[in-house]
Amino acid sequence: MLKFIGRRLIQMTFLFFLFLTLVFFLLESQPGDITSQFLDPNIPAQVRQLIIERLGLDGSVWNRWWNYITNFVTGNLGVSFSQYPRSVFDVIVERIPRTLFLFTFATLLAYFIGFTLGKRVAWKRGGFSEHAVTIGGVLLYTVFYPWFAILMILLFGSYLDIFPINGFIDPGFWRNAPFTGNEVFSQLILSLAIAAFIVSATAILARRQEERRTARLIRAVGYPLSVIVLVGFWVIRSEMRPYALDIVHHSILPIITLALIAFAGVMLLTRSSMLETLREDYILTARAKGVPEKDIRDRHAARNALLPVVTSFVLGLAFIIGGGVVTETVFSWPGMGALLLNATVIEDVPVATGALAFIGVLALLGHLIVDILYAVLDPRIRIAGRE
Amino acid sequence: MTDTRARTAGEETPSPMPGDEAPLLEVKNLVMNYEIKTGMVSAVEDVSFAVPKGRSLGLVGESGCGKTSIALTLMQLLPNNARILGGEVVLDGQNLLELGEEEMRKRRWDDIAMVFQGAMNSWNPVYTVGDQIREAIYLHWEPRPSYDEAMAKISELYELVGLNPGMIERYPHEYSGGMKQRAVIAMALSCSPKLIIADEPTTALDVIVQEQILEELRKVQHEFGMSVIYISHDIAVIAEITDLIGVMYAGKVVELGSTREIFANPRHPYTWLILSSTPSITGPRRQLAPLEGEPPNLLDPPPACRFHPRCPFATDICHEREPPLEEIKPGHWAACWHHEEVPTELVTESR
Ligand SMILES: Nc1ncnc2c1ncn2[C@@H]1O[C@H](COP(=O)(O)OP(=O)(O)OP(=O)(O)O)[C@@H](O)[C@H]1O
Ligand SMILES: [Mg+2]
Repeated sequence: MLKFIGRRLIQMTFLFFLFLTLVFFLLESQPGDITSQFLDPNIPAQVRQLIIERLGLDGSVWNRWWNYITNFVTGNLGVSFSQYPRSVFDVIVERIPRTLFLFTFATLLAYFIGFTLGKRVAWKRGGFSEHAVTIGGVLLYTVFYPWFAILMILLFGSYLDIFPINGFIDPGFWRNAPFTGNEVFSQLILSLAIAAFIVSATAILARRQEERRTARLIRAVGYPLSVIVLVGFWVIRSEMRPYALDIVHHSILPIITLALIAFAGVMLLTRSSMLETLREDYILTARAKGVPEKDIRDRHAARNALLPVVTSFVLGLAFIIGGGVVTETVFSWPGMGALLLNATVIEDVPVATGALAFIGVLALLGHLIVDILYAVLDPRIRIAGRE
Repeated sequence: MTDTRARTAGEETPSPMPGDEAPLLEVKNLVMNYEIKTGMVSAVEDVSFAVPKGRSLGLVGESGCGKTSIALTLMQLLPNNARILGGEVVLDGQNLLELGEEEMRKRRWDDIAMVFQGAMNSWNPVYTVGDQIREAIYLHWEPRPSYDEAMAKISELYELVGLNPGMIERYPHEYSGGMKQRAVIAMALSCSPKLIIADEPTTALDVIVQEQILEELRKVQHEFGMSVIYISHDIAVIAEITDLIGVMYAGKVVELGSTREIFANPRHPYTWLILSSTPSITGPRRQLAPLEGEPPNLLDPPPACRFHPRCPFATDICHEREPPLEEIKPGHWAACWHHEEVPTELVTESR
């Protein structure tokens, strides 16, 4: 398994260099010269030459490419034009957790609900609920996303007025707050990460148990424990709590909107994958063994139907990134997508390049996680990797 | 039509055993159809037979004659469009068709285990073979055994079917075809069922492995003393391992008897023809007689005797009245109006 991960990591590093190079040349090939755009044409030629040299824009393309790559590796992405003199790296590091927060929750929600619903719909072939869910799924899958996002804002933000229309925090509420938004947000992430760790540790440990009673005991302790820890964390940090809740409150609508859109694809794919799995011989064998219907659905059919669904995540990454830019923009969620779009519009070239590169990093990481997950789920891959 | 039906309920079930061997399984007047858009497929039509305790019965017949359908009816694992229209499946004195779904679920594998046609795909690829055998053991053993007890049983079964117990915790894709099939047999034995149904257990395997698996099956049957129903389209394969044979044609059992009797003295023209078209390794060399024509479409089978369009002995009565499955000799049953005319000698050349 470790060897498998190692090999994937090496492949991904290579892929990433290709990607960086691509980004670099994409910008290189833009029409016009960056110097003519940003330098006052009235400055003397000598000074102008000096500036060009200082900015490292005088060398050959290959020289600049090499500079770019080495700088990137050492974390030097230059300085933002629009937020001068903040470094691009700083700007991006501030944004990444917000995007990850949005996406992780939306993705988990979409996959969980999509998978659960898809497998049930396929199991109960025919009937009203199958048609209703399938039609709803296709509608969501094909809807024009920005329009749908605005509709959600209109409905939940304006008419029903349950959620804020947009933004990351409510500025009025945060005036004179003893903390910055980022401080509270990092604590929020920390507490969620701890809870998530307890939940996954419990699930893995329980699965390893051969005796059902032990497994049940582990679950009975582990799952409540994660909730207790989460609640306990915020009891201790009580002065921060209202601010954390404000952030959470702002995040709900974008998460739900993004999840709804991603959910439809997952649900439809699970359904067709499950219908296929149900025709397999091992399902008949399981029935002949007297396995209860619910176990046939979950342990035998759905477990196998899950494999193509997991793979689809990789194929859906591009869609998710595109959707991310839209979501963050429509909801004014200050994450990577919004940063990229904004920087492009105001021609903050270093930030735009950096954001693009880091979105690439995130996509590759997502890819890696799915690869590992797939190997964990499918022994045919895992064992081939071992040998 | 009912008066021409071979048998009515309450009569003695055709048992291919002379004397008073107690039957484990009695199938009485079983009728099962598949409902499709264009009508009903008459896949099992008025089928009756019995399997004595500790004996093996072979069900033979051409592809599509309803062998798998009978097996799935016995297990009640039929697809949604199947309709059981009548009959009884009596196991140890209890009619399984009267059981509720939950009760039947508990009886599966515990009482009747099954080795499926194409058992190569019988294994769920994401669990180890051991996981899947333990699943059956945990479900059916009373009381539920511990992990170690279950493993001890599985190791013992692996030795029995000629597998290395070191393979137990391996995944199905690490097994060869023959090994998978042996493991299926081990799993079928794991809950000591009274009856095992083996549907074409060796079709996908090469001849040598096929021989080994059949040998294995015969060995475990003698060791455990369970009853077995073998299903195959190849009467030669069946003859090697079964005590009794039931010959099927187009959804019906047309002849039933001990293997020796069927081979020595076939009384149904269909049996006579398939024996004639089967090469014999031990007997004298002879020209093989081809079986002419196609099996009928079960959506609209021929009236009365379903074999009459292909039968060299057919007369008017054959398409007017259905021949009953009669005991023409103790333990030997045949459904043919002309069973006395069928020659004892096999055909030696094509007609
Ligand atoms: N689900 C179904 N719906 C409709 N017809 C079916 C269905 N399953 C089987 N049949 C039909 O029922 C008949 C009997 O099929 P069955 O599978 O029992 O035959 P078989 O003797 O096992 O054949 P084989 O040797 O090919 O396995 C065939 O004519 C087949 O086409
Ligand atoms: Mg079959």
